[in-house]
Amino acid sequence: MGERLRAVLPSVFSVLLALAVCWVFIALTRDAETATGAYLQMLRGGLGDWPQYFEGGRLAVLTRPLGEAAIKAALLLLTGLSVTVAFKVGLFNIGAQGQMLVGALAAAVAGAQLQLPAVLHIPVAVLAACVAGGLWALIAAALKLSRGVHEVISTIMLNWVAVSLVDNWLSVGPLRAGAGTHLSTTGTAEIAASAQLPRLLGEMSRLHLGFPLALAVALAIWVWLSRLRSGFETRAVGLGAEAARAAGIPVVRRTAQAMGLAGALAGMAGAVLVLGTEYRYPGGLGAPYGFDGIAISLIGGNHPLGVALSALFFGALRAGGTRMQLLGVHKSYPELIQGLALLFVAGRMVWLSLLRPRKVAPMAPTRQPEASPEVPRA
Amino acid sequence: MLEIIEALLSSTLEYFPSLLFAALGATLCERSGVVNVGVEGMMRAGAFCAAVAAITFPTPVGVLMGMAAGAGMAAIHGYLCIRWRSDQVVSGMAINLVALAGGTYLLESLYGPNGTPPIHQLTRWHLPGLSEVPLLRAFSGHSALTWIALVLPFVFHGLLYRTPLGLRLRAVGEKPHAVATLGLSVTGLRWLAVLGSGMLAGLGGATLSTAVLDRFEQHTPAGLGFMALAAMVFGRWTPLGAFLAALFFATGNALRIGLASSAPGLLEVVPQGFLLALPYVLTLAVLAFQGQRTHAPAALGTPYEQESR
Repeated sequence: MGERLRAVLPSVFSVLLALAVCWVFIALTRDAETATGAYLQMLRGGLGDWPQYFEGGRLAVLTRPLGEAAIKAALLLLTGLSVTVAFKVGLFNIGAQGQMLVGALAAAVAGAQLQLPAVLHIPVAVLAACVAGGLWALIAAALKLSRGVHEVISTIMLNWVAVSLVDNWLSVGPLRAGAGTHLSTTGTAEIAASAQLPRLLGEMSRLHLGFPLALAVALAIWVWLSRLRSGFETRAVGLGAEAARAAGIPVVRRTAQAMGLAGALAGMAGAVLVLGTEYRYPGGLGAPYGFDGIAISLIGGNHPLGVALSALFFGALRAGGTRMQLLGVHKSYPELIQGLALLFVAGRMVWLSLLRPRKVAPMAPTRQPEASPEVPRA
Repeated sequence: MLEIIEALLSSTLEYFPSLLFAALGATLCERSGVVNVGVEGMMRAGAFCAAVAAITFPTPVGVLMGMAAGAGMAAIHGYLCIRWRSDQVVSGMAINLVALAGGTYLLESLYGPNGTPPIHQLTRWHLPGLSEVPLLRAFSGHSALTWIALVLPFVFHGLLYRTPLGLRLRAVGEKPHAVATLGLSVTGLRWLAVLGSGMLAGLGGATLSTAVLDRFEQHTPAGLGFMALAAMVFGRWTPLGAFLAALFFATGNALRIGLASSAPGLLEVVPQGFLLALPYVLTLAVLAFQGQRTHAPAALGTPYEQESR
C-alpha cells in the first residue's frame, strides 16, 4: 500500500498546488473574494448545487451539473486512455486530437447516412469512429515502424492534416448539411434519432450512455494491461523493445496494435461527443480534448484507473467552469488549472526534492534519479 | 500577371517573418538536443505581452517585451528539462496548455473577448527607390521585422557553422558527453539555446500582434507554432532549411488567401482544406522518404546526465 500511495501522492499534490496557484492568480488579477467565489461556483457547477438543493430546490439542481461533469469526464477519460495505451507501448501519442476529429466525423456520417434500428445503429456508428481513429493513428505507427519517423512529429502533423481536411473541406464542403444548396450552415447533417446515445436520467440531466461506456472501457483496458498476456507483452515492449524482442515478443505487431487501439479510443471519444451531445459534426471539436488527454493521462499516472480518477475530477472542474462566468472568470479557467497541474507533474522532481528531508551523509547506495519513469522513451 | 505575382510576394513577406522566427527558434533549441513542442505556447505569450506592452509603450518596446515573455516561458521549459531532466515533450505540451488557457483568462478579464485595444503597428518602410520598380515593389511597405527575417537565417547559419560557439551548440545536441570532456558546460550551452529559442518564438508571436495585426486576438497564434515545427523538420533542422521551408509554407498560404479572394471558382476544384493540409502532408512525406537517414540531432530528447554513458 505504501508504494501505491507514493505513486499517487505526486499527482494529488500537483493538482492541489495548481488549484492553489490558480486561486492566487485570480486573487492577484481581481481580488480574493472573487477567487473564492469563482471556486465555489466551479464546485456548484461540477458537483451539483447542494446549497440550493437544501434550500428546497428540485433534484435537477444536483443531477444537471453532475450530468455535465460526467459528459466532460467521458470525453477526457477516452482521450486520456488513448494517450495511456500509447505510453504503455512506448509511444507518445500527441495525435489524439486528430484521431478524435476523424472519429467524430465518421460517427456523424454513420449516424446520419445509415438507417438502422437503435440496437445496431449506435454500435455501428461507434465502431465507425473507432475504425477511423484507429486507421488515422496507424499512419503514425506505420511511419514509425517502417521508416523510423518519430511519432511525436508525425502525430502533430497528422493532427493538422485532420483539422485541415475535416474542418476546412469535408464539413464545409461535400459533407456539409444541405451541400449543393446555398444554405449557410456549417457542420454535417443531424444524425438519426436511432443513433443518439440514450439519456439515462430523462429530463433531469443530459447524462447519456457515453459515461458508463467510457468507464467500462477504462476497466477493460486495466484488465487487459494487467491480466492478459497481450497486455503484458505490450507493456514489455514499452519498457524495453530490445529485451522484449529477445524474449520472443512480436514487437512490431504489439506496437501497431497498441497505437491502433489508442487511435480507436480517441475516435470513440469523437463518437461520444457527436452521438451523445452534438448530434452532428459541428465543424470543429470546440476544445482541444486530444491535448487534454495528455494532461489527464499523465496526471493519472498513466494507469487506467488513475486516468479515470483524473478524468472524473477534471470533468467536474471543466463542467463547473461555465458557472465561473457568473463572476467574470472565463469558462476555460479549469483548463489553466489542468495545464498547471501537468506542468507540476512534469516538474515534480523540483518540489519533491524540496520536500524531501535533508539527511546527513546518506550511506545507502544512491539511487539513480528517476528522470520521468512513466514516460518511456521511444 | 505581374501584379498578381507582386501581390502574392507582398502577402508572402507579410506572413513569413512570424513563421520564420518561430521555426528558427525551434531549430536552435532542437539542435542543442532539447525538444521544443512548446513553440506555440511561447508564441502566444510573446504575442500577448507584446500587444499589452505596446498599449502604453512604443511598439518596438512591445516587441522586446514579447521576446522577453517568450524567453520567460522557455525558462520554465529549460528549468524543468535541463535542470531537472523532466520529459521534454511533456513540459512543452504543458507550456502550450498553460499559455492557451492563461492567455484566454488574462485577455477576457483585462480587455474582454474581442482582443486587446488596437495599438500602433510597427512602422512600415516605404522605400522610395523600390516602390517604382515593378515586382520589387512588393518588398516595400513592410515592417523592419520582414527585413530582419530575410537576414537572420544567414546570421544563424554563420553562427552555427562558422563559429566555435555554433560548433559547440551543434555538438551538444549530437554527443553532449564529448562536449563535457572538453571542459565545456553542457547545461550552459543548452540554456543558451533554449532561452534563445524562447526569444525567437516570442518575437514570432510579437510579429503577429504588432506587424501583421494591431492587437492580440483570442486565437493567436492559431497553430502557427506547430507549422513552425513542420518547417523545422522540413528544413532538416538547419537555419537555411527553415528559411526555405518557412518561405515555401508562407507562399502556399499567400496563394490560398489570394485564390480565396480572387478566384473562388478554383477553390471548388481544389478545396482550401487541401492547401491548408499541404505543409503537413509534405513534411510527413519528406520524413517518410528520408527513411532511416534522419537529420534530427542524435541526442535530441535525451536529458543530459553527467554520470550516464
